[in-house]
Amino acid sequence: MLKRSSLALLATAAVFLSAAPLYSQSANLIAAGKKEGKVVVYGSLESDTADSAFAGFKKKTGIDVEYWRASATKVMDRGLSEYRAGKPLFDVILTNDNPMQIMFKEGLFAKYDSPAAKEFTKEAIDPNLGPRYRNVVIGVVYNKDVIKPADAPKSLEDLVKPQYRGKLVMPDPTQHTTTTQWVASLDKLMGKEKAEKFIRDLAAQKPILVESLLPASERVVTGETPIAITYVKYVLTYAQKGAPLDYVRLGKFMGDGHYLGLDKKAPHGNAAKAFIDYFLGAENMTALAKLGEFVNRKGIYPPLPDADKIQFVEMYDLDAKKFAEKKKEYQQIFLR
Amino acid sequence: MSADERVLAAEPPLTTAWSRSRLGVFLSQPVSWVFLCVGGIIAFLSLYPTFFLFYGSLTDAPLGVPGHFTLQNYVRAYSDPEAYPLLLNSFIFGLGASGLSIVFALALAWITIRTNAPFRRLFELTAIIPNILPPILVSISWVMLLNPSNGLINGLFVKFFGMEKGPFNIYSMPGLIFVESLVLTPLAFLIVAAALKSMDPSLEESAKTLGSNEFGVMSRVTFPLIRPAILAAGTLNFVRAVESFDTPAIIALPARIEVFTTKIWREALGSFPTNHNLAAAYGVGILAVALVFVYLYRHFTSQVESFSTVTGKGFRPHQIDLGPWRYAASGVALLLLILLVVLPLLVLLLVSLLPYYHVPTWQTWQHLTLDHFRYVWATPRVHKAFVNSLFLALVGATACMVLASLASYITVRTKIAARGVIEGLVFIPWAFPGTAMALGLLWAYVDFPIPIYATIWIILIAYITRFLPYGLRAVTSTIIQVHKELEEASVVCGAGFLATFRRVLMPMMRPGVMAGWIILVTIFLREFSATLFLYSPGSEPLGPLLYFLYLDGMRGRVAAIGLAISLISVILIAIAQRYSRWESH
Repeated sequence: MLKRSSLALLATAAVFLSAAPLYSQSANLIAAGKKEGKVVVYGSLESDTADSAFAGFKKKTGIDVEYWRASATKVMDRGLSEYRAGKPLFDVILTNDNPMQIMFKEGLFAKYDSPAAKEFTKEAIDPNLGPRYRNVVIGVVYNKDVIKPADAPKSLEDLVKPQYRGKLVMPDPTQHTTTTQWVASLDKLMGKEKAEKFIRDLAAQKPILVESLLPASERVVTGETPIAITYVKYVLTYAQKGAPLDYVRLGKFMGDGHYLGLDKKAPHGNAAKAFIDYFLGAENMTALAKLGEFVNRKGIYPPLPDADKIQFVEMYDLDAKKFAEKKKEYQQIFLR
Repeated sequence: MSADERVLAAEPPLTTAWSRSRLGVFLSQPVSWVFLCVGGIIAFLSLYPTFFLFYGSLTDAPLGVPGHFTLQNYVRAYSDPEAYPLLLNSFIFGLGASGLSIVFALALAWITIRTNAPFRRLFELTAIIPNILPPILVSISWVMLLNPSNGLINGLFVKFFGMEKGPFNIYSMPGLIFVESLVLTPLAFLIVAAALKSMDPSLEESAKTLGSNEFGVMSRVTFPLIRPAILAAGTLNFVRAVESFDTPAIIALPARIEVFTTKIWREALGSFPTNHNLAAAYGVGILAVALVFVYLYRHFTSQVESFSTVTGKGFRPHQIDLGPWRYAASGVALLLLILLVVLPLLVLLLVSLLPYYHVPTWQTWQHLTLDHFRYVWATPRVHKAFVNSLFLALVGATACMVLASLASYITVRTKIAARGVIEGLVFIPWAFPGTAMALGLLWAYVDFPIPIYATIWIILIAYITRFLPYGLRAVTSTIIQVHKELEEASVVCGAGFLATFRRVLMPMMRPGVMAGWIILVTIFLREFSATLFLYSPGSEPLGPLLYFLYLDGMRGRVAAIGLAISLISVILIAIAQRYSRWESH
């Protein structure tokens, strides 16, 4: 017992010590940010996750956050439109890897090395965008009331077995961009040949196709369709409300990374930097993990069984042409 | 200077010619100034953002970036042979949904306005409640009720009739048509009900005197007389169904039925990155189709006089005594309202009380919670969204109806040569898919000299621009029934245009104006497709808030907010309906 509390004390001290320079820098930024009054954030971060981060920041600094929420594509559209029109109203953008890279290439972002970045694993640091603050992990989720864990699939390949025919729901890969990317990246897990066969077998199972990942998980929650290809974090978010969900331990899971960027012409530059520091800091990352997010700050995991064993594989970044090609290809495979 | 020369100097030749010219005559009439002002406002609202969409469809770069002229977007959009079967699907879907919505609306409107069926006032009040529910919620409710694997209604059939499988499958073309028709019925109801309220009973009485029974009067007099309103509602609903994405996204996708909007979504709006240029090219195609329907509508209603039924004689709409059949009529109205209101609202209520979204079991009742209502009560973001939406709904709907009334008068009543242009202009922004239109608006106003970009005013302008046709249709279907003799009498008595408009026409048009106002208020309270692009931090209305809570899987919160919006809307509708009745004059 003594050993455990000593370790906890040491861990707490380590967090505070490592955070000390951050706070000294932050103090100046916060003071300057307060004068600016607020920070304007455009992002695709979900409501509860965003509310938690913004409330924490407001409590710590007294600075208000004004949030414009949209899908990743629309965040990029708006950011680029305002930037091209010379009227950027945002200070910070936080969204998926692909749109962030495009906005970076268009020159939207200023370089900002947050002191909090050093607490992220090396693999999670992008040379252009800095820390990949979270991974959104896609896996196979099922309803334990409908399918007993012993009867559940054990791997992706199991999904194409006859007993799961008609029991699977997934977002339409010809409509839903992230799913297009996921299907197109399967060769990272299986190799090209196996992946191609798997995709055709998966389509032959006639999965129920829905418009995005959330409706897929909802069908599993209601039991309408017992198995889904969806975000693994939904297991935790729904379990916290009493839903009987679990996920298949695939070992390697594919998904997307999320980043945040500072606007080159940020109207509230100091408040924006203070926000980034807070956002990447231990307090916020721990809070986000509790909400089910797979954050990349060292040693912080969501309270999901075996979360620390998940090996994250980032999906391919597809350009516009490749997306169009893949959607066309999957139209032939999945909609025939 | 001779005498003649002095006269010429006193009356310059130019002025004389001016006053005698047709332009001078035109400008000397107040109605012409109203035409110029209204036409100018509508032309600006409509053409300015539309220009950017046309420009976008003919360029190879995103809007705002200088690009090169190209027809490639049109080639790509319309050279795909797969697009045409989808157009047929969209046509079947649009025709089915709008036709069924008209049948529902006619039955409901006739029973509640013209018969002595018990509880008809209550039915009338509740008939438009579905209009305030976001279509996405209606679709989800019906999926919960009629999905083939565990839909609640299918479950009841299995349980009580020993069936192996429920009889209904929402994931089918009939299912898609049925749900969309329920979404569209309130709009048709409002338009048809307004026309029924404004009808002169003397024609019906003449038919009865000549020996026709009540149903003969109904089929041979009443319904033909409200033909403009039926066509108006049918036209609006057809285009609305063809443009709709919400219901197809929820129902058509799992059913593997592809319609034109799902194709647009896949290839343009939902692609990564968004292909605005291709979306604009698709939008122009939809615009062309929609304008054909506007033309058809105008063709049908060209013989304005033949529809004039409101005359100078005082009257009250004729009420049909159905005798013992009145209970059957109430039964039909009740059945329709169960489909339109009760079942979706019950599902909404259930979802608002569930800790998470699921099909209820016996254990569910032990876990019901008021947490979602607490969230609505305690969250400043929600309060702010309510304030923003109420502002947009009340100010936007009122401004829209003032503009619609004037535009409708000019279109129907005057002989000004360019009057038809106004109706075409009004329809242009509405005929584009909402999201494409929002992009045009965003770009139109981002560099506008008056700084309205990123304020609530750009949303207000968007609502007026996009939804003016709804107001116009509601007023037009009433105004073409008002006989000219009333205005002529007013003019003979010495009243000018504005006095006649205010004191004669406005009171006669009141049912149509209030019907339009109600439609607009309920749409503005929940609109999201255009708002999503235009709102900025601080000006978030309810539509985007609902949409993002939905996107984040917080169905309980969405349902709780949906119920709060319904309550507010019912209060506003009740107030508006008090002012729309002839009896209140």
